[in-house]
Amino acid sequence: MTKALLEVKELTKSYDEGRIEALRGVSIAIEAGEYVAISGPSGSGKSTLLQLLGGLDSPTTGEVLFDGAALGKAIDLDTYRLLKVGFIFQAFYLLPTLSAIENVQAPMLATRLSARERVERAEVLLREMGMEHRFSQYPNQLSAGERQRVAIARALANKPAILLADEPTGNLDSVNSARTMELLTDIQQKHGMTLIVITHENEIANAAPRHIHIRDGKVLRDERLQG
Amino acid sequence: MTSPLSFAGFAWKNLWRRRLRTLLTLCGIGMAIGAFVALVGFSRSFEHEWMKLYTSSGTDIDVVEKTFLNTSVDESVETQLQAVPEVLQAEPMIYNLMDITPEVNALVFGWRDGSYEFDSLNFLAGGRFHAGKAEIILGDVLARNLDKKVGDTVELQGASYTVMGIFHGGTALEAGAIIMPLDQLQQLSSLQGKVSGFHVKLRPAPAGEGQERYLQRARAAIEAALPGLNAELASDRASNNQVVEMAHAVAWGTSSIALLMGILGIANTMAMSVFERTREIGILRALGWNRKTVMLLIEAEALVLGVVGGVLGVAIGWGALRLLSVLPRSASLASASISPWHLVEAFAISVLSGIAAGAWPAWRAAHLSPVEALRHD
Repeated sequence: MTKALLEVKELTKSYDEGRIEALRGVSIAIEAGEYVAISGPSGSGKSTLLQLLGGLDSPTTGEVLFDGAALGKAIDLDTYRLLKVGFIFQAFYLLPTLSAIENVQAPMLATRLSARERVERAEVLLREMGMEHRFSQYPNQLSAGERQRVAIARALANKPAILLADEPTGNLDSVNSARTMELLTDIQQKHGMTLIVITHENEIANAAPRHIHIRDGKVLRDERLQG
Repeated sequence: MTSPLSFAGFAWKNLWRRRLRTLLTLCGIGMAIGAFVALVGFSRSFEHEWMKLYTSSGTDIDVVEKTFLNTSVDESVETQLQAVPEVLQAEPMIYNLMDITPEVNALVFGWRDGSYEFDSLNFLAGGRFHAGKAEIILGDVLARNLDKKVGDTVELQGASYTVMGIFHGGTALEAGAIIMPLDQLQQLSSLQGKVSGFHVKLRPAPAGEGQERYLQRARAAIEAALPGLNAELASDRASNNQVVEMAHAVAWGTSSIALLMGILGIANTMAMSVFERTREIGILRALGWNRKTVMLLIEAEALVLGVVGGVLGVAIGWGALRLLSVLPRSASLASASISPWHLVEAFAISVLSGIAAGAWPAWRAAHLSPVEALRHD
């Protein structure tokens, strides 16, 4: 069996002094280079799971292991988010005071990359997203699809091993949704990255080689496409 | 190649987003630093001018009763003072601050017509006054402000005095002063037989005795000969002068209040900025920025406010000090000269104020939970 890149063991997360249990003992293992869709109805705990997988929050019990190292213990959460994970959000979350190319450089400002390396890498990524003519545009000057492509470029800035996308097509029309998913799967294949997509859309979930269905804070099904 | 995003550039863009608020904050800290530069600069200049007043006239020791403000020494003490072996000359003097016109005030000195202190004056027109006569001499700045020349008269508390000479004083205090016969000022101030104190010029120090040691010995000898009176070295007198001390206290008090308001202005701006940008800070944390980097960003923004506010404040303060040095009401008290060290000090205070004011908002921003911050509207 291949060693898991990301593994969660008996993960629980509760809020409001234990009155709300968002996750109730989730255990999954995701290998390097896998494309996994996690789906479930609203309140099922899928976003909480993504937050824990991405190191945005800490579990109440259980642990998240990246390459065998426990998040928050063997590996610092900030370092993990900076160098190992790239986030793509439904609401894009671009920084409004920064242009497209500056948004892509933002995560790299916290690294030791030189100014020249930062800007060169940002240019390459935006070109890869088909955004070469929109370098200097600010988020409010971009369409929803363009904003999401800038957000994807930003998520790739520090060459992460894992791409975490939380409802990446939730704010997009059908054309841009299809284009964004195509872009994500292309990147996943081209860079050999691990792609984890949280979605409530069956079409997207079913297109993934592996589909984890969550309900009431538990894994209901964990299916792999045959062949 | 596109220009790279720098940390400072990011901080500036965040400030520039709220231009009006940033400009108002800069005005606040600029005015506070300006007040510091002008007021403290003015009081220091005042002290400096006192110092020059003593050194330019050759006075070594000032003999006064207890304090500078209410000193009143019997004029007859002069005989005992002259008997001290180290004393070469002892000149009784009175000084007072008077309103000459509603807009112009001036220091008024009462000297004897043979005082050695005349040697430090450079007469531009006319000459000395005569004891027992209603005569005065004017500093050149005061003469210009009053538009008076030799032969004109000046009204002082209802009495008329003829201008006998116009002199160029070595200090702003002298340039804006009136000097008149001691007996005339005694009469005008109802101080017959009394003086403010004595300016003492010592004999040269004996060979082999250091100047400082000699001054201290002479001082002790005068105090022994005149129990109840204080003999202060001229070099100490400027800084120990109660008027100067009051000027310092008022300047520092007013400046401190202005600085506190400036600091609160920056703190308020940064706290509001952090609150408004809670989600953006959450985004930065999600992107992997650690707490230290987020704190640095907020502190960098506060620092920019401190640096720009400091430059603005130094310019405002310098301009205000120049204005004070030419306004008739204040020209007689201080000069426009300002030490570079004072400007550096003001700028450093502004920068430190920025850092201090940004500390709490920066700490708060750094300790936001990424998940909570991302949920913030």
